[in-house]
Amino acid sequence: MPEFPSLRRIVHALAARMPWQESNRRAPWAWVSLLGPLFGFACLIVLFTACGDPAAGRDATQGVRIEARPTRLVLDPQTTTGKIELVNVGDRAAAVADFRIQGSDWASFSIVDPLSRRTLRPGQSLTFTVAVDPESLRGPSASVESVVADEPGVALERGEYRDGAATLQFSAGGQPQSVPLLFQYRSWVWTQLLPALVKVHVLALGFVLPLAALLTWLERKQSALMQDRVGPNMARVSFGGVTLRLWGLLHIITDGIKMLFKEDFIPRRAHRVLYGLAPLLALAPAMTVFAIVPFGDALCYEQLFQVTTQADIDQCATGRGGTPLQVARIDVGLLFYFAIASLATYGTTLAGWASYNKWAVLGALRASAQMISYEVALGLTVVGALLVYGSLEPHALVRAQMDSSWGILLQPVAFILFLTAAIAETKRAPFDLPEGESEIIGYFIEYSGMRFGLFYLSEFMEVVFVSAIVTTLFLGGWALPFGALGASGFSSAAVAQLCLATAGIVLLFVGIRLVRSNPAVRMFGVVVAIVGGIHLGLAVVSLFTGWGTQLPHLAVVLLGMVIWGVKVVVLCWVQLLIRWTLPRFRYDQLMNLGWKGLLPLSVANIVLTALVVYALTPTAPPAPSQDDAHTQGPKE
Amino acid sequence: MTIGVKKVSLTRTFSDQVFLPAILQGLATTARHFFANALSPGQKNVDTIRYGEPGVDVKDYYPERFRGVHRLMHREDGSVRCVACMCCSTICPARCIAIEAEDRHDSHEKAPKSFVIDELKCIVCGLCVEACPCDAIRMDTKQHMFATEQRPDAVLHKVDLMREGGLSVATQGGAGPEYRAQLPKADPRFTHDPR
Repeated sequence: MPEFPSLRRIVHALAARMPWQESNRRAPWAWVSLLGPLFGFACLIVLFTACGDPAAGRDATQGVRIEARPTRLVLDPQTTTGKIELVNVGDRAAAVADFRIQGSDWASFSIVDPLSRRTLRPGQSLTFTVAVDPESLRGPSASVESVVADEPGVALERGEYRDGAATLQFSAGGQPQSVPLLFQYRSWVWTQLLPALVKVHVLALGFVLPLAALLTWLERKQSALMQDRVGPNMARVSFGGVTLRLWGLLHIITDGIKMLFKEDFIPRRAHRVLYGLAPLLALAPAMTVFAIVPFGDALCYEQLFQVTTQADIDQCATGRGGTPLQVARIDVGLLFYFAIASLATYGTTLAGWASYNKWAVLGALRASAQMISYEVALGLTVVGALLVYGSLEPHALVRAQMDSSWGILLQPVAFILFLTAAIAETKRAPFDLPEGESEIIGYFIEYSGMRFGLFYLSEFMEVVFVSAIVTTLFLGGWALPFGALGASGFSSAAVAQLCLATAGIVLLFVGIRLVRSNPAVRMFGVVVAIVGGIHLGLAVVSLFTGWGTQLPHLAVVLLGMVIWGVKVVVLCWVQLLIRWTLPRFRYDQLMNLGWKGLLPLSVANIVLTALVVYALTPTAPPAPSQDDAHTQGPKE
Repeated sequence: MTIGVKKVSLTRTFSDQVFLPAILQGLATTARHFFANALSPGQKNVDTIRYGEPGVDVKDYYPERFRGVHRLMHREDGSVRCVACMCCSTICPARCIAIEAEDRHDSHEKAPKSFVIDELKCIVCGLCVEACPCDAIRMDTKQHMFATEQRPDAVLHKVDLMREGGLSVATQGGAGPEYRAQLPKADPRFTHDPR
């Protein structure tokens, strides 16, 4: 642990960079350095505002507290009934009674089987069903006229739904409580197309492409450090007398410029159409498969700053009042992955064939044979996870892992087999025979410039995707282990303190490293250290107030995305580590491993998993008694 | 010590056949190197000389006994240290040193009237430095043989050689083994100094 620079030194370093200093007069960039402290200050304000009144959350568990799950029920014409679960999260029994629906649209909603007074002991829950009559909210009709008259801006056409709102009111322990009931109808443009476009941009432009570009640098830098070399460090940018080299990060940009300006060479006898098409055929599947990857649970539009429950998020994940954080929610998501990933073979095969080069053809043949061989094992290993979790939909798979335990624990053999086969699918060492620099250059031997760059980029995007899908299948997606981060916040204050303190210490450590490494990035390091200090401070705050179990929805979603991203980046690092550690297979060894090693093992894994699942599954679910139909005991 | 025979078993054990233990060992080794270099500020194990980087002079990394262009050392009064004994020109295998002696008219015996080294002929063997009895000629300038446009420019005269030269306080005739103690401490990576 390096010594932390004294407060005086930090203040001096900050002061020396302020724009009003004489030495910085003629450097307009110095104003940028103001952003550092401002950013840290803003973080402080935001985080302490998010804390709210920490004592309130703890005190509220004293006495009567009935929580509704979901906190607001959203219905649409496809979903006309919804369940509301009332849970007693307080520490004393409470009577709930006087259920009624009020609000301007009370006539449209109804409680399906009205309940009389009931007493809920702590931990007990009560479920009942609310239905909506969509036709009464379809205009124009007599019941709607009055509402429309009240709001002159709303003019409904025939057959068009309008939004309906009411509240379910009841008394709990004498206190009145209410749950909002909403009816919303949005066209598919609003529920499907626009969120999908936004999610595509967030995922592709915000994560996948930057990470793939970063990996081009990380591959070289990491291999250098592993082999006691220096690695790329020469690209630099200077402004205002300050030279930034950033550990060679700028090589990403210089590489791009180099590739764009290189000669675009096409061999004379190449098939020009296919030659041009092949890089696109390699890149497109690599980008398309990301559609099925869930990078978070669901986002609820109107509850961003409220504490939500898992029931709220499940409701949002169906598209009612929110959107799942997954570009395409396909029931056969993993089959979609296999279908699209096998299309990537066309890119490599056509590249080799269209190049009119015998080495390229050899590489293409190797690539197609290898990818087809390993796809068999890849598909069969997933069957184990399918048997355990009972779904092929990645989002549901992650939820199932959150409810039971992670795939790496329940399917460790499948994890190793899947990772091996998936690395073989990306055609990287130790499975890089299609490339084989020392014997044949590979299927892209004739490609140059950005055409080659597309192959290069798609290779790294496949690396990112393998990390993402392994995270989804085996490492619990966006979840923390042991359910530490739930829908409403950390599972307990101690977990919050642990997570915050860990993040704070890591950020502080990195920040100090940056401050001490290079004068040019000292400012950045100070900001990182400040953010780390804020985390540590929050951990201390949580230590005294128990804060952290009730977080706003947006914070939980962002935390989940950060956790997912960290897992993916770490797995990318592991893949690069493997790629630069293991030597290349011989081709017969490759085929032996695929057909005689991975395939039988994955079949054995399926059989074993099936037997265990069969043995553990109860033959018939216990029939619920009449009494327990609505009232359930405390959850275990 | 006698020569023994070590018998190596060629049968593959189970851990060999499942690959994974060996793979994990390899990954641990490379990861150890990665973290050792990534987490230490100066990239601990990296021996690369950052040639051409600002603040890095590659001559700092030259071995202590690197032989470069010659120079002639001075006495305290600034006169040349050479006594024109002709040892260097005699031992020079390339015959690139030409000395013409003259009388000094003081307590010292002789001095070179002219001292000419043809650097184009020099084979940088360093025998002249070895042969010199009074530490007058040295090749420790850490300068490589330079490029010239005209051949005569590569012929260094006494003035040129003394311009690079510094004060030498060596005892005339040598200080014996103690002179080693006066040397700056060499970089142990590049020397095989028996010390």
